[in-house]
Amino acid sequence: MKPFAEMVGQRLWVHINGKTFVYETSGSKKRKTSAGEADKRDIAAPMPGKITDVLVKPDDRVSKGQVLVVMEAMKMEYTLKAERDGIIAEIRCSVGGQVNAGDILICLR
Amino acid sequence: MKVAIANRGEVAVRIIQACRELGIQSVLLHSECDMRSRAYRMSDEQVCIGPANVKDSYLNVESVIRGAIASGANAIHPGFGFLSENAEFAELCLKNNLEFIGPSPHSIRAMGDKVSARALMQKAGVPVVPGYQGEDQKNETLLNEAKKISFPVISKAANGGGGRGIKIIRSEKEFASMIESAKREANAAFGSERIFLEKYIEGAKHIEFQIFGDCTGRIFHLFERECSVQRRHQKIIEEAQSPSLNDEIRNQMSEAAVRAATAVQYRGAGTVEFLFYDNKYYFMEMNTRLQVEHPVTESILNVDLVKAQIRTAQKKPLTWIQKNIIPRGHAIECRIYAENPYVGGAPSTGVLGTCIFPEGPGRRFDFGFERGDEITSYYDSMIAKVIVWDENRDRCIEKMLRTLDETVIFGVYTNIPFLKEILNHFEFRSGQMTTQFIEKYFSEPLPAIELTEEEKIFSEKMLQTMTSPSAIAEIGSAASPWGHFWRNV
Repeated sequence: MKPFAEMVGQRLWVHINGKTFVYETSGSKKRKTSAGEADKRDIAAPMPGKITDVLVKPDDRVSKGQVLVVMEAMKMEYTLKAERDGIIAEIRCSVGGQVNAGDILICLR
Repeated sequence: MKVAIANRGEVAVRIIQACRELGIQSVLLHSECDMRSRAYRMSDEQVCIGPANVKDSYLNVESVIRGAIASGANAIHPGFGFLSENAEFAELCLKNNLEFIGPSPHSIRAMGDKVSARALMQKAGVPVVPGYQGEDQKNETLLNEAKKISFPVISKAANGGGGRGIKIIRSEKEFASMIESAKREANAAFGSERIFLEKYIEGAKHIEFQIFGDCTGRIFHLFERECSVQRRHQKIIEEAQSPSLNDEIRNQMSEAAVRAATAVQYRGAGTVEFLFYDNKYYFMEMNTRLQVEHPVTESILNVDLVKAQIRTAQKKPLTWIQKNIIPRGHAIECRIYAENPYVGGAPSTGVLGTCIFPEGPGRRFDFGFERGDEITSYYDSMIAKVIVWDENRDRCIEKMLRTLDETVIFGVYTNIPFLKEILNHFEFRSGQMTTQFIEKYFSEPLPAIELTEEEKIFSEKMLQTMTSPSAIAEIGSAASPWGHFWRNV
């Protein structure tokens, strides 16, 4: 199958050798969009959805792996956990609120 | 007959196709944000039943019924999910002189309440998993019962189905928080907090039997499907037949499935789900509707389940004869989800670019969205199903890999790379996979994609060509689909 590419929105999509991917130029830094790449101090929404529960308060001490926020997206419930030990500095979401992918929900310090 | 479709996406397309072949008019009942979808374009008529949010449209019983009546339809096909297993909805359809294409409200209710279904099955001599199904829902009672069953236990929504509202609880320590979450999810998804507990059988396979009751009351079984490849209880890959059953156990299970269906005077397409472990089987639940994975059964048996559903609703008997329903070859279905396999399967949304579903012998594509359609976060992330048939399982896997290599979806990430990893995995190849398969081997997101020199050079060249000012001018108006489409430049 011949390789081909297409601009969809602002991004170049490529299909070659059975692989499909978004190509961002090797010259510039990749934009950070996903939670996986975000700063470990901040808990970001990995996808758009609705917050169903916030299990911590500011100044709570939390440990790595502890569930901080529960959200619902595409009809499934997801739990967002602390990626390291820390203290809750700020809560930027509330139960029932809609959030977008990448929104910071909780800041640790 | 004129059929209103109370669903969306690929299943709506599937129903429209069946209607067309039977010379029946179809009406798509759709939400405001589904006007750019294949079902919208293919249906004969369209009625908007409310805003994007499912509570206001696809789950809004009154809007759906009003829409159907307004269109002059005299039957409703609910597809799967949404209102397909809602007995009140089925009743309301009948009250409004709309034929409900599915079983009777009585059958839906008997099987929909997973608790009474278990009791019914025990009475019919179908083995069930040890569990607690009592009405006392206090956390304390549930904990005591869980201890009696012994951990790990699985908590399920009494009104549930389709993998939602399910939690596996491994110890007393996590019991309280998991039960709260299970109740919340059950309530959000099915409108009731009630749950029940079952012993969680680790290392079991998920094997289900397709059954069908025609309008004369005859009940057929259409052999089994194996759906052990699941993530968070969402099936990802299904196949027919199961590589794990011998004829003796297959016969026993098909008889049990027919007994289950007979116990509720079942009519239409239904599925009896079993856990299979150590050559023993246990009833899990019966889904009183068409299943997502019905095409693999259609492929090995050369039947059309959706047309059979519609004919049954028209009170036309089927021409099937049980002893002539004989499986041939092997079929596999892969569900294409709009999600990013490199960040742990997070849903991916956006407007689709080029989509190529590469036709070929033994390949079938059930898809609901094409170029220009938008995948939103309002709905399930499944956007298409790829089904292949070949003479045996190994060839079938090879064909699926080839097909996925040639399948192109631009604009959103898909789980295709993940599907290919599964198809290449030794345990899947051996046919020994269990419902733990994904968590055992694929608990981490896929590593970032590695590009070869050739791939980098091609991509870089394309990027420069397409983002240069002259190229943008040349691509011209967005109305031409070919403007965006550069092959082997």
